[in-house]
Amino acid sequence: MSVFMDLNLSYTNDKSRMQSLIETAAHRESLSVPVPTPIKDLMEKLPIVQGRCRPIRVLNRLTVVMSEQCHFVSFSAYDLLAVQPATEKLFHVACFTLDVDIICISVTEKRPFIIKRSPVNGAVERGIMFEVSYSAAIRDSTMRRYTIANAVSLVETCKGKNLILSSAAEKPLELRGPYDISNLGLLFGLSDGDAKEAVSSACRSVVLHGETRKTAGGIVHTMKCCSETPDQQEAPPADSKRAKQLTE
Amino acid sequence: MRAELDQTPRSLLVSERSSFRDQKTRIRAQVEQLHFNYKVSVLLPECCSAPPHLDSIFNTFNSFYLIRNLPVYELLDKNFLETAVYQGSVYGVSYRTRIDEDNCVALTPKGHLTLSLDKDSFEILGVEGKPSRFNHRTKCRFVVSVDLTDSSMAPGGRGYQRLLTGLRSRLQLKTDFLLSHYPGGGASLQALLSRYDWSEHRPQISRHTLTDLSCPALLTSDLQSCDPHSFMEWVGAVDANVSCENSSSSFLSSLVCPEPRTTVSRALSVSVCGLLLPHDVHRLIQEIRCYLEQPHLESWVCLTVHGYADSPVSWGDNEHSVLKGGENFYSLLMFQDDTYHLHLATGAHDTCPP
Repeated sequence: MSVFMDLNLSYTNDKSRMQSLIETAAHRESLSVPVPTPIKDLMEKLPIVQGRCRPIRVLNRLTVVMSEQCHFVSFSAYDLLAVQPATEKLFHVACFTLDVDIICISVTEKRPFIIKRSPVNGAVERGIMFEVSYSAAIRDSTMRRYTIANAVSLVETCKGKNLILSSAAEKPLELRGPYDISNLGLLFGLSDGDAKEAVSSACRSVVLHGETRKTAGGIVHTMKCCSETPDQQEAPPADSKRAKQLTE
Repeated sequence: MRAELDQTPRSLLVSERSSFRDQKTRIRAQVEQLHFNYKVSVLLPECCSAPPHLDSIFNTFNSFYLIRNLPVYELLDKNFLETAVYQGSVYGVSYRTRIDEDNCVALTPKGHLTLSLDKDSFEILGVEGKPSRFNHRTKCRFVVSVDLTDSSMAPGGRGYQRLLTGLRSRLQLKTDFLLSHYPGGGASLQALLSRYDWSEHRPQISRHTLTDLSCPALLTSDLQSCDPHSFMEWVGAVDANVSCENSSSSFLSSLVCPEPRTTVSRALSVSVCGLLLPHDVHRLIQEIRCYLEQPHLESWVCLTVHGYADSPVSWGDNEHSVLKGGENFYSLLMFQDDTYHLHLATGAHDTCPP
């Protein structure tokens, strides 16, 4: 198993609210939490995860709610890219062609389309994960029914593979601990092992998938070198550094 | 809802009845094989203060040391191996590391160093290891198990060099570490301790007096007492100070004392927490046997020993992990006639206790 991660926190312009959200996530022992802004602008010093000696890791994530295909544009500046398709056709396109890491399943409305096995298998082969968010279930009892129903039908189709559970929390009170979330996974039809993976190893796969999205085939990584000036004497070490990056 | 929802994760309970006087009794081996004990609790019925001999045993449990940010390659230090590992029994386990999330380290008294590593750390370390038995779909956890007393791991040998280079320059693994040594105490560890930020700790002792405690009746060795699962639940409830009343006005606990039951007017529960050595547990068991030889109102004592939930090994060198709970403990119910009931329990990700 790998460290626990919550890969979906809602962004607000209210800086103090974002900070308290991240601090609660650290207290709940989540380790990576995506927010869509430069992280150093958000908090100078990231809080230490409860019971551990290292700080929480915060990533950038963009979620595109797609109702038409032209809505999607690939952004490499973000660590994680997620898409929430509104129709079956867009779901098909997202599973087979779009360059994304996560496909979100809507939990706030009755199942908008039937999730078929063929696009799900296509997405699984490409390493894309499906995401179910649970904070809507905490807020409202009708949403709870939709969350469970949609999640159960997804789990039946994907057989518990390539699934992540995250919060989509707007307030610190909507966050839950990793073992609670894996228990919630049991309600969705996951087995004990799958439910625990949904908050740990599957999330790690998503983060790695996001990193490889910025590379060429997951092998070559290019990095902007610090500065061309003041003089050419800097050039040879930078070249060897780039060569070293390329061979890694 | 699916039918599997009423199934809880697997747990194992092994129950054994024997006598201390029986020559084939395995109690000593069973106690010694659980290397890393976190908590020992003793329940003494009809007793309001611990007798002095028992108290002195509690107070003379071995101290242990906490080293902050110890680089793990230091456990391969030649001087440390010669003065501590080869000479006696060193017990060491990483502190504040979660077995299902982080890299964990354990050093057992026989000189076995076990590293439970996540995939990235294992690949960086570059030493032979096996995938964990408890991996689910993907192989995300690996176990490197090394016998430091073996000739291939002698300082200067190839295996030794490879592991040392891996821990020193490739992986650079550092954890907080709990360390204890028997019999020498701290003297043989001083060289290692002096190089890092360390502190010595005494095991913490707490005592609770319980009044009007309902406990299972017929707790004698010859009669068939209550079934092990209900008995273990009751022992756990008493230890955690959870009420077994099951009153209709309270929703906190629906645990009950198994029938038939009796009420004991007072009882003493003593707990000791820290890195406790099996040797001290064994001394405690012998002292409790002496205590039981004297006539008492109730002729039994219950001793429960909990292992560390995040230790890479549980009994012997068997791999241990955490699914929902990492329990590995045993409960010893001792009687006046030197007989005992032993219940050994583990959680889902564990091997069968001995």
